[in-house]
Amino acid sequence: MAEPATDFTLDSAALLAAEEHEVPIVGRSPTYLAWRRLRRNYVALFSLLVFVLIVVCCALAPVYAHHVAHTGPNEIHATEHVRVGGKDRQVVGGGSYFDPKTNQFVVRGVSVLGPTWWHANGRFVLGADALGRDVAVRLLYGGLNSLKIGIGSALICSFLAIVLALLAGYFRGWVDWIISRFFDLIWAFPVLLLAIAIGSALQINGFHHFGINIKPGSIWIPLLVISYVLIPYIGRPLRGQILSLREKEFIEAAVGQGASPLRIMFSDLLPNVASTAVVFFTLIIANNILTEAGLSYLGAGVQPPNPSWGNLILSGQQQIHTAPWLAIIPGIAVVLTVLSMNIFGDGLRDALDPRAKVRVEH
Amino acid sequence: MYAFVVRRLIGLVLVLFAISVMTFLIFFATPGIDPARQLAGRNPDKTTIAAVKHQFGLDRPLPVRYALMMKRLFISRDLVSYGNQALKVVPAITSAAPVTFSLIIGAAVLWVVGSIVVGLLMVTFKGTFIDPLLMILALIGISMPVFWLGEVANLVTQDRLHNTFLFSWVPPLGYVPITHNPWQWFLHLIIPWVTLSILYIGFYARVLRANLLEVQNEDYVRTARAKGLSPRRVLLKHMLRTSLITFVSLFGLDFGVLVGGGALLTEVVFGLPGVGQLTYRSLVALDLPVIMGTVLYGAFFITIMSALVDILYARLDPRIRPA
Amino acid sequence: MTGKRRWTWLLGVLAMAAGFSMLVAAYGAAGTKHKTAATKPIGTLRAVIDTIDYLDPQQAYTGQSWWAMWNVYETLLTYKHVDGPAGYKLVPGLAQSLPTVSRNGKVYKFKLRKGLKYSNGKPVKATDFKWAIKRGFLAQGQGVGFYTDIAGAEAYSKHPTPGGNIPGIIVNNKKRTIAIKLVSPRGDFLTILALLFAAPVPGNTGPEIQNGSIPGTGPYAFSNYDPNRSFTMVRNKYFKPNRFIPRGTPNRVEVSLIGDADAATQKVTSGQADYSNGAIPPDRIADAKSKGHLVLRDTANTYYFWMNIREAPFNKLKVRQAVNMAIDRKAMQTLVWGGLGKSTQNVLPPTYPSYKKLSLYPRNVTKAKQLINQAGANGATVKVWTRNVSDAVTAATYYTNVLNSIGLNASLTILPRATYYTTIGNVNTHAQTGWARWLEDYPHPLDWFDVLLNGERITDQDNNNFAWYTNKKTNKEIDQLKKQPLLTPAVNAKWATVEKQIMQQAPWAPWSNRVFPEFFTKQIGCIHIQRLYGIDLARLCRK
Repeated sequence: MAEPATDFTLDSAALLAAEEHEVPIVGRSPTYLAWRRLRRNYVALFSLLVFVLIVVCCALAPVYAHHVAHTGPNEIHATEHVRVGGKDRQVVGGGSYFDPKTNQFVVRGVSVLGPTWWHANGRFVLGADALGRDVAVRLLYGGLNSLKIGIGSALICSFLAIVLALLAGYFRGWVDWIISRFFDLIWAFPVLLLAIAIGSALQINGFHHFGINIKPGSIWIPLLVISYVLIPYIGRPLRGQILSLREKEFIEAAVGQGASPLRIMFSDLLPNVASTAVVFFTLIIANNILTEAGLSYLGAGVQPPNPSWGNLILSGQQQIHTAPWLAIIPGIAVVLTVLSMNIFGDGLRDALDPRAKVRVEH
Repeated sequence: MYAFVVRRLIGLVLVLFAISVMTFLIFFATPGIDPARQLAGRNPDKTTIAAVKHQFGLDRPLPVRYALMMKRLFISRDLVSYGNQALKVVPAITSAAPVTFSLIIGAAVLWVVGSIVVGLLMVTFKGTFIDPLLMILALIGISMPVFWLGEVANLVTQDRLHNTFLFSWVPPLGYVPITHNPWQWFLHLIIPWVTLSILYIGFYARVLRANLLEVQNEDYVRTARAKGLSPRRVLLKHMLRTSLITFVSLFGLDFGVLVGGGALLTEVVFGLPGVGQLTYRSLVALDLPVIMGTVLYGAFFITIMSALVDILYARLDPRIRPA
Repeated sequence: MTGKRRWTWLLGVLAMAAGFSMLVAAYGAAGTKHKTAATKPIGTLRAVIDTIDYLDPQQAYTGQSWWAMWNVYETLLTYKHVDGPAGYKLVPGLAQSLPTVSRNGKVYKFKLRKGLKYSNGKPVKATDFKWAIKRGFLAQGQGVGFYTDIAGAEAYSKHPTPGGNIPGIIVNNKKRTIAIKLVSPRGDFLTILALLFAAPVPGNTGPEIQNGSIPGTGPYAFSNYDPNRSFTMVRNKYFKPNRFIPRGTPNRVEVSLIGDADAATQKVTSGQADYSNGAIPPDRIADAKSKGHLVLRDTANTYYFWMNIREAPFNKLKVRQAVNMAIDRKAMQTLVWGGLGKSTQNVLPPTYPSYKKLSLYPRNVTKAKQLINQAGANGATVKVWTRNVSDAVTAATYYTNVLNSIGLNASLTILPRATYYTTIGNVNTHAQTGWARWLEDYPHPLDWFDVLLNGERITDQDNNNFAWYTNKKTNKEIDQLKKQPLLTPAVNAKWATVEKQIMQQAPWAPWSNRVFPEFFTKQIGCIHIQRLYGIDLARLCRK
């Protein structure tokens, strides 16, 4: 489930600027140059747009549910009838039944309402699931959960990773050794075990201590678990980069001048790894969405009946032979979201450090 | 150098110890878990539960139970599952390991060859539409959840297109040991291999491409070109070799993770009884002895591969001070 | 023709006709004989089952293990190898005849048949029966709780030793007699003796779990066992059949253990296996029906939602009644098992002779909402519990929806399979309502009412009465009926009354008697479903 880290090197932005013949050599900040490069990368911008669109659509899930589909994500309409393009269909129909005349069961498959594509006034646009719930509504609410977890965990994880990497890279020695072993520990600990264990531990009463309130089955559980286990993903490469920076003269100079560790870490080291950190941040959003999908698929992430793209794929699997769209559609949603973030992240990396490469430390 | 190796080995042991303690404690912090009850089975009466508790040492203090479990796992190797007393943990893992190895080694061969080919293609055709196209395809490969891809693959090969000439050879889900029937072993694993490798081909192709492009401007490549060597020779003999360093180290890490049970999702979707599936089942059943065995097994491989890669890097780049 | 020649000709024709008809008759008879003996033998039966727990008679407690072991380990009394309700009838197995029971119902006397041998050739002794019971206690077998009513067993169970004695079991090897003394009479004792936990095993069998290696007395013997993968059964050449136990048609049975329902179903559709007992994924059912032979098996099971009468809002009868009126049982059969189940409002499944169909709660959602209002339970917070198995999650999701639709504020909590029953059976959880099911252990109403709905048997932990239901009247009736040694029609009528009284208090909302699909290839015939043990593998044949 964990993605391997990518490769970056540091190179001089000024060199690149000089190569751009159209522009006289004027002092431009690296940020401006990066922004200009990014602006010209239409594919990356388009992908960012797609991602933002997906986020907006999911954020508007309650609006869609209320005004278009007229139902919630957990409401069961199995026995209802819907008029689809003039024909009357039961949301979940068919199925075997017991015939008292022959004293035997008549075996038949169950038929679940397929996508109505607006022929039913906005209800069941993408069809119904095995329990008669509106797939489109669940898809949007599920996306909301998956994105909350993906982006939220990326934020927490990046923050923690940056702090630890700075500490390890600046202090070196035994601090570095402990933090590196801590990274090893996290990396080797199976995320699934942690997710299941914490999920089960909090199942009955939740966690209500130290001013933190986590209800059982809350999405904070997978969010925190994923943030925790992916710290080394960012932490290790950043640590390597900071370690090599640490050797450079300007840091030695700052130390010699008597600058406090905090100042050096945040004013000298951090800005130089900012671009790497930003790129990793976008990539880890993509990675976390995939991880959350995996956890929910295994039953350890978002708990049913709350939807998430991962557990939608899981429940869709039960009907995969007769109603394959139930499992395929959430998967496509995941692919689109993750892909758009990956493409944008790539474009961002190209813009920030066109020949960037950081030797991966593991 | 030796000091470094020794420090890393100590680190390995400490990490494994910490993981085992964490697993042990997490397990007992989970409410509702009563190993004696699990072992005693359905509808037991109080005397049975008490007797089971005593027999398995479950009435002793926690550190003693931990020590007993570690002893049974590593020294006498007769640690028994809580869910099924006929299942011994160590043989269960050793019989599941070959399945995982079969899956991973085959997928690894596919993805190494595949990514080298795709990476080289991307670099050779840089500037044409092929490069961005392959880039997007590679990115799509990385963006697909492997279990979803597996489900779709199963739907297509086992159900929808099963009766066509394309996929009629696909056997039902499961695993056949190579010692029983090599041909069936091979057939059963083809679709899982392809599914698992797609994710990694996408990733490694891009890594290779990035490395090759970076190396392009290095002096020794310019020298080789200046000497008049054909571009292909330059590419394959000189550039590829240095680029493979990163490639190999990343591969080592990923391989370590997979061997340790990281192919869990693939194994579950394709019904392969490997270490990943064993881990998953034991987690769902909250079966501590098996969980402990599989977690330590996995942690061992992950940590040791990570240490090996670190050693490799330390040798190559003296600037990076090993920790 | 001349006169003489005409007669000759006529005689000849008659002779030919006679001969021809005799030939036809002979061929026809032979043909019918062929038809009756058309049950072709099966060389090797390849079966796929989803899981077993043990192949050790004093340990195994799952239906699948018993399915395999029934034809390997015989008990003093067994059940008839026939379909239908007659399969509930107890008949002699290793015993010569049904036992003599003393008038106070406390002493049972058996005599073993002559010349019985285990599959290793060693003779079966009366002491072996006593050893089996002792072994159950020594090994902490899952079924020992059933035998604690034997005199001295309770004391033995506290400190079981191989040399210790259970004075309530008196055996004589020479006379082949076994006498069992009970502490108090127990109406279901004979059915308990027929459980595999009481199957005699050789006296030198140690108490540690042995899967597939203990010699048995049935038509088959285990020949090897690969944990979690497979096991094999071969003919027991020392088996001594009686009127009730057939020799078995398959020569050999190879059983694979495949947990994934899809994979198991595919093994049969692709012809790699002859039989699969596992659930068929609902979206594969129509497909399975066309590619093989689907047989649906009624088992004695009830799926229900319990409502804890100690916890609000279910402490009010009106709320419990409302719930029973609100759920759409018919829709649930379709949603949860694709229709393969029968709606029920009873505690007992219809397989019981005492079963009288109850329809106390006709579906009426409006009335349900009214009752909730009257009980003042509108907006009451309810936590619904279920375990992490897909059918339980589906059923409980639907149930939560229903509770919300009648005015309660319900949410769902899914627990891991391994901790579910201990959690809801723990008084400190204060669980209000949730999913449960019961599969019979043995065919007696006590197995249901005494275990699940007797207020006297409630415990604070590992409780099986999830509704915490207690009622002085019904508790007393159950305890009295416990003493009845036989299920006569009068006794059955009393059980039906108790059931009705309990359901009027509505501690449960029962909703289904599930039907299990058994999947065969089209070539397998002679499919007989024994009420307790399922598909009788000994009688399967090839068409």
